[in-house]
Amino acid sequence: MKEPENGEIERAGYDIGKTAHRADAYAKVTGREKYAADYYDGEFLWAGVKRAGVPHAALTGIHAEDARALPGVIAVLTHHDIPGENRIGIIRKNQPVLADTRIRHSGEAVALVLAENRETLKDALNRITLDYEALPGVFSVEEALKETSPRIHEDNPEGNVVKAVAVETGDSAKAFNECDAVVEGVFEVPAQEHAYLETESGWAYQGEDGTYVIVASTQTPFRDCFEIAPVLGIDPAGIRVIAPYLGGAFGGKDGITVQCLLALAVLHSRGRPVKMWWDREESFLAGVKRLSAKMHYRLGAKNDGEFHALECRLYYDGGAYSPLGGEIMTLGAEHAGCAYRIPNVSIKGWCVYTNNPVGGPFRGFGVPQVTAAMEQMVDMAAQRLGIDPLAIRLKNAVRKGDRNCLGVTLTNSTGAVECLEKMSSHPLWKGRAAWKEEAGPFKVRGVGVACMAHAMGYPPMVADEARAKIELTVEGKIRVYAGVVDMGQGNASTYAQIAGYVLGQDASAMELVLPDTARTLPSGSSSASRTTYTYGNALIEAARSLEKAIIKAACERVPGSVAEGFLFLPGKVRHTPTGRELLLEELAAFMDDSARVTTGYFKMPVVREKLDAIYMGPHLIFSYGAHLVYVEVDELTGQVDVARYLAVTDAGRVINPQVFAQQIEGAVAQGMGYALTEDFKVRKGRIVTRDLSTYIIPTSMDIPAIDSVPVEIDEETGPFGLKGAGEIGMSGPLPAIANAVSDACGTRVFRAPMTGEAVYGALIRKKEEGTVL
Amino acid sequence: MTTVYRPGSLDEFWDMREKYGEALVFAGGTDLFVKLRALNKYPPVLIGLAGVKELQSIEELSGAVFIGAHATHTRLLSHPRIREHFPVLASALRSLGSPPIRNMGTIGGNICTASPAGDVLPPLYVLGAQVELRKKDGSRRVPIREFILGPGTTALTDGELLSGVWLKKEDSFTIHHFEKVGQRKALAIAVASLAALVTTTETGIVEKARFAWGSVGPTVVTSQDAEDALVGLPLGLKALQSIVPIVERSVSPIDDVRASAAYRKALAGNLVVRLAGRGREPLRA
Ligand SMILES: Cc1cc2nc3c(=O)[nH]c(=O)nc-3n(C[C@H](O)[C@H](O)[C@H](O)COP(=O)(O)OP(=O)(O)OC[C@H]3O[C@@H](n4cnc5c(N)ncnc54)[C@H](O)[C@@H]3O)c2cc1C
Repeated sequence: MKEPENGEIERAGYDIGKTAHRADAYAKVTGREKYAADYYDGEFLWAGVKRAGVPHAALTGIHAEDARALPGVIAVLTHHDIPGENRIGIIRKNQPVLADTRIRHSGEAVALVLAENRETLKDALNRITLDYEALPGVFSVEEALKETSPRIHEDNPEGNVVKAVAVETGDSAKAFNECDAVVEGVFEVPAQEHAYLETESGWAYQGEDGTYVIVASTQTPFRDCFEIAPVLGIDPAGIRVIAPYLGGAFGGKDGITVQCLLALAVLHSRGRPVKMWWDREESFLAGVKRLSAKMHYRLGAKNDGEFHALECRLYYDGGAYSPLGGEIMTLGAEHAGCAYRIPNVSIKGWCVYTNNPVGGPFRGFGVPQVTAAMEQMVDMAAQRLGIDPLAIRLKNAVRKGDRNCLGVTLTNSTGAVECLEKMSSHPLWKGRAAWKEEAGPFKVRGVGVACMAHAMGYPPMVADEARAKIELTVEGKIRVYAGVVDMGQGNASTYAQIAGYVLGQDASAMELVLPDTARTLPSGSSSASRTTYTYGNALIEAARSLEKAIIKAACERVPGSVAEGFLFLPGKVRHTPTGRELLLEELAAFMDDSARVTTGYFKMPVVREKLDAIYMGPHLIFSYGAHLVYVEVDELTGQVDVARYLAVTDAGRVINPQVFAQQIEGAVAQGMGYALTEDFKVRKGRIVTRDLSTYIIPTSMDIPAIDSVPVEIDEETGPFGLKGAGEIGMSGPLPAIANAVSDACGTRVFRAPMTGEAVYGALIRKKEEGTVL
Repeated sequence: MTTVYRPGSLDEFWDMREKYGEALVFAGGTDLFVKLRALNKYPPVLIGLAGVKELQSIEELSGAVFIGAHATHTRLLSHPRIREHFPVLASALRSLGSPPIRNMGTIGGNICTASPAGDVLPPLYVLGAQVELRKKDGSRRVPIREFILGPGTTALTDGELLSGVWLKKEDSFTIHHFEKVGQRKALAIAVASLAALVTTTETGIVEKARFAWGSVGPTVVTSQDAEDALVGLPLGLKALQSIVPIVERSVSPIDDVRASAAYRKALAGNLVVRLAGRGREPLRA
């Protein structure tokens, strides 16, 4: 569409860079939006899972007679009832849908019950008993790596190692000798629970054509079909997965949760729909967790602050199956040097199996772990060299054209320096000394910063692609078929905004079809900070094709007109030379059905050098961020109060400022939980923090005002210049807060979360050491 | 299936109580229903107190205030008499749960739950509260410290109901202080807490002091020794630090998922030290 020459007409539709209300806001605020478990049908059955309750054992018998005998129990299924393959896994197919010979974690699914109602279901589950021989368990990375430790997956040639990677650039051994200062640290970060509002859930039925329809809270509807079908022993075409709006996912629904179990249940449901909805305790027990990690770091620098050498040894606990654990650790290894230019690097990483809860994706994938460590190392180096923490970051931060720690040239937008510069001119940075002075009695104040990088999209070995579809309906509406899930981040609304902008429409003209493998086109997962970037690009292409198709139809309606003469307005197009207006509805009636639907395709560009630098290949495009935090520590209790927070982000151009801010604020809040209170405690394979009364996520009272400032650098390959914004904010809070706590207390807590008790302990140790000296 | 009855008066309540022997009583339900869900055991009958008119009142009667057992935390917080005469209680209530929990939860429920972490209890101990217990045919008053027997156990006998709390107006204390250490700023169960009432002279010398700690023993902990030791000293860092060893000897905390016993013990002492900020002495030399 061309702007009219005379400029008299303003665009009335959506705009890029302006807040448009989220399409889901009203329905969610009023409680009307439906999640996967909210689609009721009076006749449905409840399905539920009997879980092992022991972390490691040989399973020798399942006694389900008592449960089967209970009135209202429709079926009790075990591994014997799986018609196809009893193994799932995205990369490593080694997780049973229902345990057969071995139990590898406490939450292992052993039997599936179908019942008339929830009470009967509960009762039946309690009546199932298991025979097993307990096996010695493996509960830490150290144990897992011992030659003598039990093997959790007997057929894994690498023992208990899920995946190991190594990155060597330059000559780090030699380079450390050339450094003026070398700092060293060992950091530990805990497992983290997603704690989404909506726990894992879904419902399923068999359609009239025999298709198994699974409506689930999932980030990966298309991939799910390929995981579910082999379990049933059927072709993936026989599976349809529908993903409505999700009540949060954060990576925890990247893959199978309820889907295979629901499909199995439908085989035995006597034609009735089946619903499964994990309660909070089951979600804690069986859902995946962020991988805990232990990280040994050494960083060497020259007197002027230039980083010269880095050595990292990273140990990630993948838990019993770790569907993507190796890949999570690998992304961590790729980011181990964060946003810095370091010529000599030695990074080794291991992800191992243990009998702990299953590890899986969580916002940031493996990056928050290493950023927590590296960004504290940077402060330690700065302190050793007597350089300001912001100055040392500015000196070493990557710029466009630099090589990163993997030796990959950064050819795309690279805004780390711009983020740091923006921070340096912000009032919170300038006012930090004055604020620190004003601490009240028994309080000490500190200020901390962190700088982050986060890769966008899949690694080069996995095509990061999307297929968008858009339709002019016969009613004259623009319908976007979104093949990628909106798990709460608001991307579906952004799709409406993008398509609406291209076609000059406002919200009232837009319709959204949420992911449905039978209606929308495969577009990959809602994950990896790729969702709006990849799908958005495909959508722009689809919308531009539709624009052409509509104008073509309009030309046919206005004798003698040319394509350039038309302007899109909400609900219509105007032929500017004559002033004649044609309603979209009218035009739709004249168009062939096939002409009213267009598609677009996009594939994310990948690196062309150093493809073998790391497993699956390194990433090309990164988002960047710089965070600043004010904390106040109470000397009497050790409690850390986060007073102010600044998040500067380079995620390219911002399409919708409100949705962007929500992503940054949400990630920062989740990162604060990770930093201060969230500690998913497991003892000997059994979860200690079993629900939200002991697993402590922040409340609104714990989150201060967050200033979110975008640094809008155009990313040439992005839709309207955008890059991913979903994860970058997650990695900053832990190291920024750790650095601030260290600034306040003069001592560092190397283990997260930094609870009041942990910080108090560090204060006491410092005092005792002080008196000894 | 559970049937829920909601009597409108005590008379109706006694009738129901007699009729349904195994019924459980609830007020706001914020403790009871959590427990029932965890046990997955629901009684056939529940009797709710929300409609019992005699349990709702908050009134001032000759130098004392009576708080009906079903007064919700929100109601108490917005009540001028409570804020005016018992700031230590108001402060504790403000830290309890979250707005929805304070809207539902009641003072009676908090007392009868008898948790060592119950936030209402330390203030009631320092205020010398008496609880009023009723039976169909009579009532008695018991000091709070005699009512709470252990974690989850009280002196309530069969057929007895907590009808309310009596508080003497304590306007002689110049300092009302409550602090809770939780794992976050709201919806936080006390890791340790302290309610304190202190009176000082014009020159800042302690005339009387009362302390009660939550979550550092099987029930609320008090320490006459610590209180006595402080009397006559200027309220300041030195004096308060001098009583810390006494405090630490008085408490008997445990390790649990929220905190270690050692940390709790340290907190018990340090929360007292906090009062230095309320004294007249400069905190830093
Ligand atoms: C999310 C959450 C957060 C919470 N946070 C806090 C907190 O920060 N601090 C805190 O102290 N507590 C907290 N609680 C616990 C609870 O809310 C409080 O203890 C509350 O005061 C209980 O009051 P209730 O009316 O809801 O009690 P109920 O659950 O109704 O009753 C509790 C017990 O007392 C008995 N009972 C109640 N009234 C009477 C009566 N008049 N006579 C005899 N027996 C009676 C009941 O039978 C039951 O056994 C929290 C609870 C939840 C769920």
